[in-house]
Amino acid sequence: MSSHREAPETAKDPVADGTDTYAFVSPARPDTVTFIANFIPFQNPDGGPNFYEFGDDVAYDIHVSNKGTAESDIIYRFRFHTTVRNPASFLYNTGPITSLGASTWNRPQFYSLTRIKDGHHKVLAEKLACPPVNVGPRSTPNYAALAAAAVHKIGKRRVFAGQRADAFHVDLGSVFDLGALRPFQHLHLLPSADAPGVNSLQSYNVHSIALQVPISEVTRHHNLPTDPASAGAVIGVWATASRRKSRVLDRAKGKYVGHGPFEQVSRLGNPLFNEVLVPMGLKDQWNVLPPHGDKKFAAYVNHPELAKLLPALYPGVFPHLAAYTKKRADLNAILLTGIPSGVVTAGGFQNYTGPVEADMLRLNVAIPPTTTNPNSLGVVGGDLAGWPNGRRVDDDVVTIALRAVAGVTIPLVDPGYTPDAAAGLVTDGTSNTNAASTSTFPYLGNPGGGYQTVPGTTQAS
Amino acid sequence: MTETSRRKLIVAAGAGAAAGTVALTSGQASAAEVARRPGSAREPVVAFVKDHKSSELRLMVGEREVVVHDRDLVNRILNAAGGQ
Repeated sequence: MSSHREAPETAKDPVADGTDTYAFVSPARPDTVTFIANFIPFQNPDGGPNFYEFGDDVAYDIHVSNKGTAESDIIYRFRFHTTVRNPASFLYNTGPITSLGASTWNRPQFYSLTRIKDGHHKVLAEKLACPPVNVGPRSTPNYAALAAAAVHKIGKRRVFAGQRADAFHVDLGSVFDLGALRPFQHLHLLPSADAPGVNSLQSYNVHSIALQVPISEVTRHHNLPTDPASAGAVIGVWATASRRKSRVLDRAKGKYVGHGPFEQVSRLGNPLFNEVLVPMGLKDQWNVLPPHGDKKFAAYVNHPELAKLLPALYPGVFPHLAAYTKKRADLNAILLTGIPSGVVTAGGFQNYTGPVEADMLRLNVAIPPTTTNPNSLGVVGGDLAGWPNGRRVDDDVVTIALRAVAGVTIPLVDPGYTPDAAAGLVTDGTSNTNAASTSTFPYLGNPGGGYQTVPGTTQAS
Repeated sequence: MTETSRRKLIVAAGAGAAAGTVALTSGQASAAEVARRPGSAREPVVAFVKDHKSSELRLMVGEREVVVHDRDLVNRILNAAGGQ
């Protein structure tokens, strides 16, 4: 979760496994929008000597759709290149890394950023430096400075690519142990004493591509919309990873060499979509398809398996949900078409992109960022600047999604429905105990250090 | 080449080559030697026949995929893959 190891094939290919995608109006620069896409889940910070890095053989893309077709109107492509300064050493670094150009850093990684629009490829920048991973206080003694130096300006754009702390939090151990929610597990079909949630992603790192661009660069009319009701104020966003269609083992090099075009192997728009809604037999196929073909998967949104499981796993807790057999038009709007005007009455909110059913983050850029006490429950919590209006780093998407599936959003489209009392309370019990997000680009916190890593406490029983 | 001698060649080649790789050289001259054209590929090419009943051949070259429909070319590849 939200898309960590969510499909059989991507689980075997972590370098190309997209874990989370974010899109929000930048709080510190509200005339810009920030896109973040994370890859390579569950990074143990001490995973050396070959620490985690982007794939030189992977194309990482952030897609923007602004014409209501769910097609990619703009693609920002990141391509990486790794160098080895001293192939005679087995070490990642041969001394303290005090700058991005330090000769002691044995395996630096660089990247190019290309903007693809109307079939035209424009290289915006090349040879941009990533920061090193956070090895420890001797090797990367001032990690914050190294990370800050890796924020590059390209005109009015800012870009960063490198290791960060995962911001997603969820209790994987309980959720996948037959849907246990520790704060409520005395109500579970197989009950046990209630307990606080455990953040399974705490202390793990990811690799992030982050891009901040003027809003006018990505909107339909190349403007800075101020009217939330305007169709041109809404953009669709998702991220993908692609690999070459064919690869052959080059024994002389000891590695695979790619041939042919890049083909998508992973995608991610809304959190939890492929993870929780798409059935096991279709997850791999979903990953290689574009969003505009998601009508094929709409049945799993309209009648989600999880909505049937909740009443079964928690007997007597969700009687109204158990009796609800209509199409889940609320989830269809939230995830596949955007929310039309008039559904959420506050602030004139809408993020409808038309009838094409497609899993995308939908961001209404005319909704200003919430700079004082943002509510991590986003639109459900009355904060129109959070998920499902785009997605911010600190949005508690697990709680939002659980409550939505449990029925709290049904009355938005079916006023006659009364949610179960538990629907508005359900949670996995985790909070954001990851490294704190930052107030400025790239917003995700500094990654945990290898030296500082303390082994876990997993036991067999 | 008889079926018996063909099998011998495959066994011999398999024993001396990397596992799973068979090196064969045609014992017969091609009916018509095809000359390289000026625009021909100058880099590695991977050929892919997904369906042996189809005339479709996919060629991976650089960052491109070239789709060719050529029954004769596909047959020659299938014959080569079969050791003929």
